[in-house]
Amino acid sequence: MNAEPTDGGFRNGPLTGPLTGLAEAVFGEIAARLQALADSGEESVIDLRSLPLTPGDRRELEERLGHGEVCAGLDVGGLSEVWECGYAGVWWVRHLGEDGMPRSEHIEIAAVPAILVTHAGDIASAAARLQRDAARPAKEDTRHA
Amino acid sequence: MPERETIGDVLARRGVSRRALLKYTSTLASVMALAPAASRAMADALAKAHRQSVIWLSFQECTGCTESLTRSFNPNIGDLIFDVISLDYHETLQAASGFAAEAAREAAIAANKGKFVLVVDGSVSTKDGGIYSTVAGKTNLQLLQETAKDALAVIAVGTCASFGGLPHADPNPTGAVPVSDIVKDKPVINIPGCPPIAEAIAGTVAYIVTFGKLPDLDQRNRPRAFYGDAIHDRCYRRPFYDQGLFAASFDDEGARKGWCLYELGCKGPVTYNACATIKWNGGVSYPIQSGHGCLGCSEPDFWDKGGFYKPLSTNTGNDAEIVGAAVAAGAAVGVASALIARHRKRKAQTAKAAAKTEGQP
Repeated sequence: MNAEPTDGGFRNGPLTGPLTGLAEAVFGEIAARLQALADSGEESVIDLRSLPLTPGDRRELEERLGHGEVCAGLDVGGLSEVWECGYAGVWWVRHLGEDGMPRSEHIEIAAVPAILVTHAGDIASAAARLQRDAARPAKEDTRHA
Repeated sequence: MPERETIGDVLARRGVSRRALLKYTSTLASVMALAPAASRAMADALAKAHRQSVIWLSFQECTGCTESLTRSFNPNIGDLIFDVISLDYHETLQAASGFAAEAAREAAIAANKGKFVLVVDGSVSTKDGGIYSTVAGKTNLQLLQETAKDALAVIAVGTCASFGGLPHADPNPTGAVPVSDIVKDKPVINIPGCPPIAEAIAGTVAYIVTFGKLPDLDQRNRPRAFYGDAIHDRCYRRPFYDQGLFAASFDDEGARKGWCLYELGCKGPVTYNACATIKWNGGVSYPIQSGHGCLGCSEPDFWDKGGFYKPLSTNTGNDAEIVGAAVAAGAAVGVASALIARHRKRKAQTAKAAAKTEGQP
């Protein structure tokens, strides 16, 4: 999976374009929210799709946030890309549908993005399945072959 | 499906993880501009909820609204919404026809009296007793009245059901009216658009199922989550408007640079919809991004507002003075065009004659 920021299909046309100053404003908002996470543990999300960012603004924001230590790919109802930005606790989350088209894109300010955390219900269901599988012999035992 | 099975049970049985549900609600929360934490709350609530019975009636319409939902480029929306609801009657989608179909509708109403959500697309003919649109011998007016009385709420999908739409356009030969003109004793949610965005239809139903209440509505009974902002306010070309940079024609330098389409008749400043944020064709584009102004299709009487290519600053009323001015302007344009055409013709004739002369020995 390509962990580098791409346009993800969210834009039509060149990645450059007029700068409106909105990226700078969003950058400032991220800074304030990251400080809140550091001070009180308050998590937050900024929805990028609802903002009228020009292609140039988006590129500027991507460049300013940079890349950090972690990137992850998910294959759940279509691919998703998650990477930690150059500032620990700031995550860029991009969801694509099964058709590869974009669904949502947001900046998540949290220790771990919610989509990466395994839900208790899924753990319980997987534990039950694993118990069943462990109680059954493997289809073909090749250990002594 | 067992009667009391939850949506979470249905999804688990189909191997859909909670992570997938969270991805879906994350998209919904994003498009509905809900608080960030809402996506997790929605996923939890949806997993515990029961499927909502829905009866869908189609009146004077083109099926574009159904197409918008079912042909959505977003398989998650298309698939998951049908996990969230139990679509008990839909003439276009159901296999049953004739008497069996009508029996299915009556059975669904009886089984879910007071609990089902009625979705209507298309306007309601009222002239001459509503005889201009009938299904199984009943007028749309009769069908709406007898079905709506047992519904929990009514969702008018599309501009025709919400505001009358094209059937309501002058001279309105069938006496078409919106659903809200007929249903007065229960909430009617309008999801206008020609067609409406699939996410707006699915999101509104999902909201009702998730939170057990109607979403916050604007003065035209549209969910604020999708119709709370003017397209102009969320348009990526808005900065050009603020800078006074406008395209003056569809092929001038301003158009090529992506400047604001206000002077070309864009109705974005007075149109409330989510086209600029959710977009169409899987989020690829929307009319303004594709180079054409907004038509204002999610507003009442958009067809009769005087012209898609007239700037909003132009008075688009139909009084005689304006019509006279338009005729005068049209005549002026006509004269100018004739002069240009005559000039071009003369130029072409001259060039042809010159070529002929040069070609002679």
